[in-house]
Amino acid sequence: MVHEDYKELVAAKALTALDAEGTRELEGHLQTCAECRAELAEWEETAAFLALETNVSQPSADVRGRILAEVREAQNDLRSDSKQLSVKAEPVESEIPRRGANVLEFEAPRRSVFSFGSVGAIAAAIIFVALLASLILLWQQNRKTQAEMARMSTQMEEANSELARDRAALQLLTSPGARMAKLAGTKDAPDAQAMLAYDKAGHAMLMARGLPSAPKGMAYQLWFIKDGKKMPGKVFSTDAAGNGVLEDDIPNVALESAVFAVTLEPEGGVQVPTGAIYMVSGA
Amino acid sequence: MQPQIEPRSDVELLHAVARGDEDALARLYDRYRIILFSLLVRILKSREEAEDVLQEVFLQVWKRAKDFDEDRGKPFTWLVTLTRSRAIDRIRQLGARQRLADAASQDAPAAVSDAVADTLHSERREIVARALAELPEEQRRTLNLAYFDGLTQSEIAEQLDTPLGTVKTRMRSGMIKLRELLGEQMHSLLGPAIN
Repeated sequence: MVHEDYKELVAAKALTALDAEGTRELEGHLQTCAECRAELAEWEETAAFLALETNVSQPSADVRGRILAEVREAQNDLRSDSKQLSVKAEPVESEIPRRGANVLEFEAPRRSVFSFGSVGAIAAAIIFVALLASLILLWQQNRKTQAEMARMSTQMEEANSELARDRAALQLLTSPGARMAKLAGTKDAPDAQAMLAYDKAGHAMLMARGLPSAPKGMAYQLWFIKDGKKMPGKVFSTDAAGNGVLEDDIPNVALESAVFAVTLEPEGGVQVPTGAIYMVSGA
Repeated sequence: MQPQIEPRSDVELLHAVARGDEDALARLYDRYRIILFSLLVRILKSREEAEDVLQEVFLQVWKRAKDFDEDRGKPFTWLVTLTRSRAIDRIRQLGARQRLADAASQDAPAAVSDAVADTLHSERREIVARALAELPEEQRRTLNLAYFDGLTQSEIAEQLDTPLGTVKTRMRSGMIKLRELLGEQMHSLLGPAIN
């Protein structure tokens, strides 16, 4: 496909009117073409104005409250998770105003150390050093707390991603006309298996497990095979347990009686299979 | 906690939402609820479904406000695109043909109680409707089937019993013509409260 062909697809993409194959081809191109991405943004703006060509309707008054209630609930869940971590920090933070007052009071004795050299001034110096040490300890604890919060935030994001993925899978499986194909491992991956769920529009989700870890620079690629023609799908990687999930769009011609396969390829994907087949359907 | 400077533009509101400002989300909802809900009712042909999806949309706004990139487009486009995307997903989930078949039995959209919002939306609608009216019938129909019914080019070709190539040409030509017709008016369509 030449560049002009992609530009032909962009306006339809803004209307989400591309078929699965066109979507896949254009999305691959958009990743590398700033010109087409900018053009897509302009077409999306034009398309958005079509939304104004509707009869005026207003939602029920309680919708606003429901949205804010759900947002607050989500915020409260987040705060209660971080609150457990901040409990240890609270008593320490409450010392800061008192420490500030001590520092202010300490100012006078410091001057007296240099001018009078009294026992009281030495004691004040010892207190100052002790407070400085406490401050350093607090700072270290705070850093650990922040790191822990960041880790929990990442975990929550991962959990949310997983939940979104599970929901998407459920949506696919329960959509009218949904189908499923099972892929079994070949001799290169005897323990591997996968399920490919797809709806009648070709929106598909592959859930694979038991695949060996791909070598560096390589990834698994999905293929749609119909009448001997091998059409490339997207690439995906697996986690340490050999599990992988991929969302893709099946070309229209492959929606009926196609064979699905997974091979090991260079991580950018290829147009023609070059690697070993690790899983195949209908075997 | 109140922000030091009260956000006014849509961009400022989205940035505030990204910082966790619930009040900013509420303001954004107040500004866009009619535009987005009207679109949802048009696509889903059901107030109940539309309210459900509207709630999902604003929860998505809450979670994804940090992803909004003002260099890539305006908040209006981002919100409308997000809304339409959720609506089309809902159609595909429920079955587009079933939705259209059920349309006759659904409750009609409630009358708008906000006279000011009604007037503003009606004016905008008039501008877009006039532009669409200048398109050839086939182009207008193609755009409507894609935008409001969520059909792909292949599905449109099947429904209209027209070659796929013809549908593609009509779609692209229709979009080019629409952009030309809206032209300078696009910015006035957005208005002072939406930018």
